[in-house]
Amino acid sequence: MFNSILDLLLFFLISLGYWKIFNKCGIKSFWAFIPFAREYHISLCADRELEGRVYTIHSAIAYVILSLNHIIKNEMAVALLTIVLLAVYISRYVYQIRIYLGLIKVFERKKNFIWLLVIFEVPALLYLGFSKKCMPNKKFIDYRKLDGAMVSGVETEDTDSGLSVNINERTTFEFFKKIMLLKDIHMTIPRGRMVLLLGGSGAGKTTFVNAVTGYEKADATVKLDGNDIYEEYSKMIYDVGFVPQQDLMRDNDTVLLTLSDAASLRLPSSVGFIEINERINHVLKEFGLESVKNSLVEKLSGGQRKRLSIAMEYISDPSLFILDEPDSGLDGVVARSIFEKLRAIADEGKIVIVISHTPDRVADLFDDLIVLAKDKTRAGRLAWYGPLKEAYEFFGADSLEDVLLTINQKEEGGQGRADEFVEEYAKRIIEKVG
Amino acid sequence: MAAKIKRHRGRFSQTIIYLGKHFRMFLFENDWKVLPMSAVIAGLVYFAVGGNLFKTMEGTLMGTFALACVCIWNGFFNSIQVICRERAIIKREHRSGLHMSAYVASHMIYQAILCILQVAIMIGVCHLMEIQLPQRSLITKWPIIDFGLTLFLITYCADMCALLISAFATTPTAAMTIMPFLLIVQLLFSGAFFSLPEKAMPFTYLTATKWGLTAMCAQGDYNSLPMVSIWNSAIKMKNVEIEGEKPFQEALVYIEKNNMRDDLLMRCAQQNQEPKYDFDKDIVLGAWSWLILWTVIYIILATILLEFIDRDKR
Repeated sequence: MFNSILDLLLFFLISLGYWKIFNKCGIKSFWAFIPFAREYHISLCADRELEGRVYTIHSAIAYVILSLNHIIKNEMAVALLTIVLLAVYISRYVYQIRIYLGLIKVFERKKNFIWLLVIFEVPALLYLGFSKKCMPNKKFIDYRKLDGAMVSGVETEDTDSGLSVNINERTTFEFFKKIMLLKDIHMTIPRGRMVLLLGGSGAGKTTFVNAVTGYEKADATVKLDGNDIYEEYSKMIYDVGFVPQQDLMRDNDTVLLTLSDAASLRLPSSVGFIEINERINHVLKEFGLESVKNSLVEKLSGGQRKRLSIAMEYISDPSLFILDEPDSGLDGVVARSIFEKLRAIADEGKIVIVISHTPDRVADLFDDLIVLAKDKTRAGRLAWYGPLKEAYEFFGADSLEDVLLTINQKEEGGQGRADEFVEEYAKRIIEKVG
Repeated sequence: MAAKIKRHRGRFSQTIIYLGKHFRMFLFENDWKVLPMSAVIAGLVYFAVGGNLFKTMEGTLMGTFALACVCIWNGFFNSIQVICRERAIIKREHRSGLHMSAYVASHMIYQAILCILQVAIMIGVCHLMEIQLPQRSLITKWPIIDFGLTLFLITYCADMCALLISAFATTPTAAMTIMPFLLIVQLLFSGAFFSLPEKAMPFTYLTATKWGLTAMCAQGDYNSLPMVSIWNSAIKMKNVEIEGEKPFQEALVYIEKNNMRDDLLMRCAQQNQEPKYDFDKDIVLGAWSWLILWTVIYIILATILLEFIDRDKR
């Protein structure tokens, strides 16, 4: 009985401290008195949301086990549950310390303050909450509730020769919250174009690519030459080549066998053995890998590995070719040679979309530019799709790096003008359609 | 316009492609090392506990437990890292049309061959070290095949359990962290070697060691073997004096003189027989069925887990 009263008192006092802390951080203070929710919200104050999720789950498990221990009469079961509880408490405690370290940083206290929080949790939290000297250096902002940039809602028309993308939105649920990843992205890319996909960190480049390829479906219609990629995904995957940023190949396989397996996996079963071999030899020659065809992948240089990685997708002769940073870690000369190869692929009548963080050295090779930017709600929005040359004028920039600086958020070192350009582009599209 | 219908290689062809990859990895990525390792482990275990295997009850229980542990060890090490070490590659290939069932099937075939080789090596080492093996058969005509099948099923069950961990863990480090927990469970809950409380006995149904040990003891006709622990204890006490006399020594001499020793050892064994280790076809088939059941469960779970590989965080 005494223990229960003590537990309740402790809960109340901690909640009291949280209540004032939440007030200071711009979080609704009633959360401080709700078990599980208060653990999550204190992590928001501490700017440690990811840790907060784990901390909350551990707290919930601990509450459940404690409740079960009161209900269950079997001694063995109680003992086993107590062991689990001990493990959960240790883990929970570690996450709690991580969150409190974040809280100390936000409230600009000395690091030694953690000892107070660990040993005298209640008075330390009450001090942080009630003392006027302790004020957070940043407040929590729920970006989801802000008004985002204007939506054009203008859908692009399907084409029999090219890629039409109409993404209304791409959302995900994270820890009971709906997060908007992409919104209002519409475009048609004709065949034979090489397009650069530009965007700051977290702007949704990979999400966009995954939505276009049907790998992560969005509320969207994506058609390649009139064929719906989402509806006919199992057939269309062979017509879409995606080259990831990392060279994901088995190091102890030879170049020839790597290509041969890729061909067997990606080419239709109607393609005969002789035809497959011809295709492999053609690709080896085209990507300059003939001389190393019997070498192990681990022995290849960075450029050769990248070319092999591209060749693995190219072997199935896809219509849409998407590459995630094919130039990462490569010097200028090697990177240029790879982009020239991609240009040649586009000139064959294919669509090539490339994500790159250092595009200025090869800017002349691209036809069009897609710029994705995070708006106020942190959703990925289309700030530009069109010819590269017009993009410089639109953004008032001299280089692609400048374009990126213009749209990046201020905390990322940019000018934070993403919303402005997203709206400007939306207006332009609406005007165009009339 | 409907997409052109092009058939791509199905699960069977993909299984063959990946089987080829696994054998290349066997040669080039040092996966072959599990074979000599199994010989060394088997040799060490036979050296330590092989002397009384299938000769006495105590030696059989200890020896079969050790053999089951060797099988579990081999199985775990065969596949604990095979999936997690190339998880990102599989994810890419899944995106390009790889069927996970074909991928798992290729591992099943490859690992089965590896396990057969390891069992052959274990039996070979056994012969080299002149360790006694079961003399009578229950299922096939050849006792060595019966015994080999049991060793194979234990190894393969552990192998598929490790494959499941490898499919679950996203990194080799995570897989290697989980493995010791499972090893301890397998060793502790064999249900024979360590005395467990009655409440813990249901957990023994989860382990390959229990079913492997049961099958091996039944095949070795455990209940027909002598029990020597009392005799050995009596020998240790032969010099104990009570009121100036040595009753244990006198009794031992009497028993030896009258050729009663073997009879006494057998009588002692009769009091300690375990019906679950009877030399009975049904017992062996039952144990094998459990091993196969767990193997199938592990395979299904591994395939289901891998089907969700696209949900891995970027």
